Amino acid sequence: MELILLPLIRFLFGGLSMASGRASRIFAILALVADAALLGKLAVSLSTGISPAIILGGWDRGLGIAFVGDQMGLTFAALTWGLGVAVVLYTWRDALRPYFFMLLHLLIGASYALVLTKDLFNTYVILELLTLASFLLVGYGRRPRQIWASLRYLILCSLGMSLFLFGIAIVYYHTRSLDLTEIAVRIATDPGAPWVRLAAALLVGGVAVKAGVFLFSLWLPAAHARAIPAVSALLSGVVIKMGVVVLFRLSGVFPLGLTFTVLGFATGLLGILYAVQTYDVKRLLAFSTLSQIGYLLIGFGVGSEAARLGAIDYAVAHGLFKGLLFLAVGEAARIVGTSDLRALVLNRNAIPGATRAALIVGVLGIIGMPPFAGFAAKAVLESALHPTIFHAAVGLLSVGTAVSFAKLAPLLFARSSGRTDRTRAASYGWLGGTVVLFLPLSATIVPRSLLTATLVWPAFLEAIAAILLGLGLYRLVRNRPFRLPQGVFRIEEGTLVILAGFFLIYVLLLNG
Amino acid sequence: MLALNGVTISVLLFGIGLLGLILRRDLVVKLLALGLVNSAAILCLVSLGARRDGAPPLLMTPAAGAMVDPLPQAIVLSAIVINFAVLALALVFVMLLVERYHTTDAHRIERETAAEEDSWN
Repeated sequence: MELILLPLIRFLFGGLSMASGRASRIFAILALVADAALLGKLAVSLSTGISPAIILGGWDRGLGIAFVGDQMGLTFAALTWGLGVAVVLYTWRDALRPYFFMLLHLLIGASYALVLTKDLFNTYVILELLTLASFLLVGYGRRPRQIWASLRYLILCSLGMSLFLFGIAIVYYHTRSLDLTEIAVRIATDPGAPWVRLAAALLVGGVAVKAGVFLFSLWLPAAHARAIPAVSALLSGVVIKMGVVVLFRLSGVFPLGLTFTVLGFATGLLGILYAVQTYDVKRLLAFSTLSQIGYLLIGFGVGSEAARLGAIDYAVAHGLFKGLLFLAVGEAARIVGTSDLRALVLNRNAIPGATRAALIVGVLGIIGMPPFAGFAAKAVLESALHPTIFHAAVGLLSVGTAVSFAKLAPLLFARSSGRTDRTRAASYGWLGGTVVLFLPLSATIVPRSLLTATLVWPAFLEAIAAILLGLGLYRLVRNRPFRLPQGVFRIEEGTLVILAGFFLIYVLLLNG
Repeated sequence: MLALNGVTISVLLFGIGLLGLILRRDLVVKLLALGLVNSAAILCLVSLGARRDGAPPLLMTPAAGAMVDPLPQAIVLSAIVINFAVLALALVFVMLLVERYHTTDAHRIERETAAEEDSWN
């Protein structure tokens, strides 16, 4: 029952917010409380070993839409809920239209539905719903550049979803089913069939546009950097993760090992290169989101259970600290009047103490400083990466992350003045607390035995070494500015690149 | 020669739509091309569910021979509605951009927004 109620309650509250705008904040809190109860119920039944399942409409499996509450679904639903709390607190005193809350409910409800569904076409519908909700949220501020960023987002995502629909058509034609579990069984009988490759390339290529994989998601930097802070946090923390969840689910159906490792490394490296060369802090965060997706894909590409859990763990950690960073940077940029790093550094004493504390925790989390969030998840992931070349690749990405965030260092040392609004501080405290206390939290995602086996001295030393190496490299590249092509972020190039990426995946599948 | 069935037509339409997205600079034309791409996917889904001389999947008709698979026809309804929503909302946003920049040329809008961003810093 909780499986159906989770999304539906959100849609109900979305309608109520529009009907009675004055009470929209109260509705937002009521919805969060109701969600907490439902998620708690799901967690309790999962801890007793039962994963609740339901097939809508009373059809047989394969015809009806299956909803299954599993560990991965619960984890990502909880992440969505946590960021929902942070956003409601953060925007408590902002003058927002009821329309914002309606879209917020829609976005969160669709996310719940997506992590629970096991049906391919239902996945398509919910992804489109997420696209529409986030498209309107990016354009919420009505600034022309926000509108333009969100229009590009919509066009490229809609193109990606068309590829996905082509993939669904092929899968349905050959398996006569839309249920992922049944499709997996049918494909396992003949995994080398040509149609499997074509369908996998179409499905993965289509979702990659939404999941923040670099070659595909060229709309992302503009959309994430130009939206208002609360929306950026949701986009980077939740919406991108929903694409990743679909990719994870597809990796259980199609043989995608090689594809994911290659795409993961490419998105990691390119994201870091662009992050190092930009001086706009919000764009830096957006590019770093692209690079962090690399860890997740490599983890899933390797395919072992430990790597899979490590990737899920890292996805949650990333959602938390990236959400925190977007909220804190957004407030700092609002106070200073620009998100240009040089101006922020010049006016760094104007940033209030709580905001700066949030920035510090977020940055320490993302560069993987022990014992903050990034470290624990990365340690589990790295310990599971065999052969060593994957481990080295992830190590390289960690160094790159440290390089790209090193230029924020001057912001962290300042005398702060001014006060942060109480509810905003509460929002930072909520997210920052989870980033600091992520080690005990991740024991609910990763088995405790795995966690204790990976948190050993070499892992600590490796994390510190990666950070120090990154800081050293930053000193080298600091005075050597380089420019990467910026034209690729237009619609035309984006379309071409999505097409090229589709062919790339197809070729990778031929060899995988 | 290729058989002219629904699937080949859908691939052709998809190609035309892609060319429109890449080559035409006018945003309204781009959106029309996007509509073509989306419709191509829908056509593909329906034609893969079709079968020659199949009866319409209605309970009213006497079962004369095999029926067409009803599921693709049922699910494309959702896809059509979604595409309608996407195009409608996108056109509203194009309207907002035209009010501001008085053009539907994607490259000019790109330049103007980039210039605005520079002047902000």
